[in-house]
Amino acid sequence: MLNSLFSSTTIPVLEQVVNFSQARHQVLAGNIANLDTPGYRTRDLSPDVFSAQLKKVLADQQRASSLPGPGASASGSSGWTQARLSEVSQGLETLVRHDEVNVGVEQQVTELAKNQMQHNLALSIMTSQFRLLQAAVSERA
Amino acid sequence: MQSITSLSQAGALNSTSFSATRGVAAEKGPSFQEVLLDSLEQVNTLQQDANRAVENLATGGDTNPAEVLTAVQKADVAFRMMMQIRNKLVQAYQEVQNIRV
Amino acid sequence: MISALDISTSALVAQRTRLTAIANNIANVSTTRNEQGEIEAYQPRHVIFQTDERTSGSLGAAGVQVSSVEIEDVEPRWRYQPGHVDANDEGWVAYPAVDLMTEFTDALEATRAYEANVGVIEVTKDLAQQTLRILA
Repeated sequence: MLNSLFSSTTIPVLEQVVNFSQARHQVLAGNIANLDTPGYRTRDLSPDVFSAQLKKVLADQQRASSLPGPGASASGSSGWTQARLSEVSQGLETLVRHDEVNVGVEQQVTELAKNQMQHNLALSIMTSQFRLLQAAVSERA
Repeated sequence: MQSITSLSQAGALNSTSFSATRGVAAEKGPSFQEVLLDSLEQVNTLQQDANRAVENLATGGDTNPAEVLTAVQKADVAFRMMMQIRNKLVQAYQEVQNIRV
Repeated sequence: MISALDISTSALVAQRTRLTAIANNIANVSTTRNEQGEIEAYQPRHVIFQTDERTSGSLGAAGVQVSSVEIEDVEPRWRYQPGHVDANDEGWVAYPAVDLMTEFTDALEATRAYEANVGVIEVTKDLAQQTLRILA
């Protein structure tokens, strides 16, 4: 019951986005630290692949919940969604791109800034959702 | 026994008066009950729109972040407003309950 | 809004390439031999910019890319130095036709353009920060 409390909001999705942008930040910071290392190849976590995987998981979840199931309780479907969504974050290992192209410092810094913007956005929305849930629970707006 | 029958009479009176007011309200416009249920529906729609916009943003759709944030905030405010209305209703009901007959 | 960052970055990369070419020219202001060691005056290089559709944002906004680095074909400066190793038969040495004033002015322009684009990036980041304030 308590798990389905969160699955009615967008908190699981945003959780995955925040996890992804944190992991990507580490990779990009490593790139910038190794700018002068000879023979270093820049790595990146592809955000396009991540959002495609997320989209697939969400579409599967919607199809599953729209099917009329006799025992498809809310807790069951939300637990399955959590498992699928965490699969996305575990699959982050496969998203690492090893570029042959020598990407310069401007690109790395820009990717870092874009990642930061996405991270802050997802975090702010998640915070406001939590605040809304707390207001509903405490009956005090 | 007498109190029970009086209570049932009061209940019958309540229902007739309620239907009477409903009949009267239907001539004038939407009743309070209909307005309330309609607002609940609107709050639900706003929440679902906000959820859809956030999912669209997370899955790489071409939504504007400002639009998503505005939708989330609108749903937020609507929900809090509805909650305050609900609190006031409960408070009014409790005051009515405390009327000493 | 995020595509504005890509556009500014493309400008940063292009201006950096231009500065590299200018630095190349200034470093080779007295070079009388080419890479193979033959007697040939250094020819200045300059970069050609081109609008880049790959970093295009919405509504037709586009970034910039370096389309090519051109090697100029100008007459070198001749100096009469009959004792010089690289002098030709009449005693003239061919020096590169690199005008330091022009190169420095171009470098200034490239630097200002670089700073302007960094300023645009700052504004973009600030816009995103302000947008988050919609969520009270």
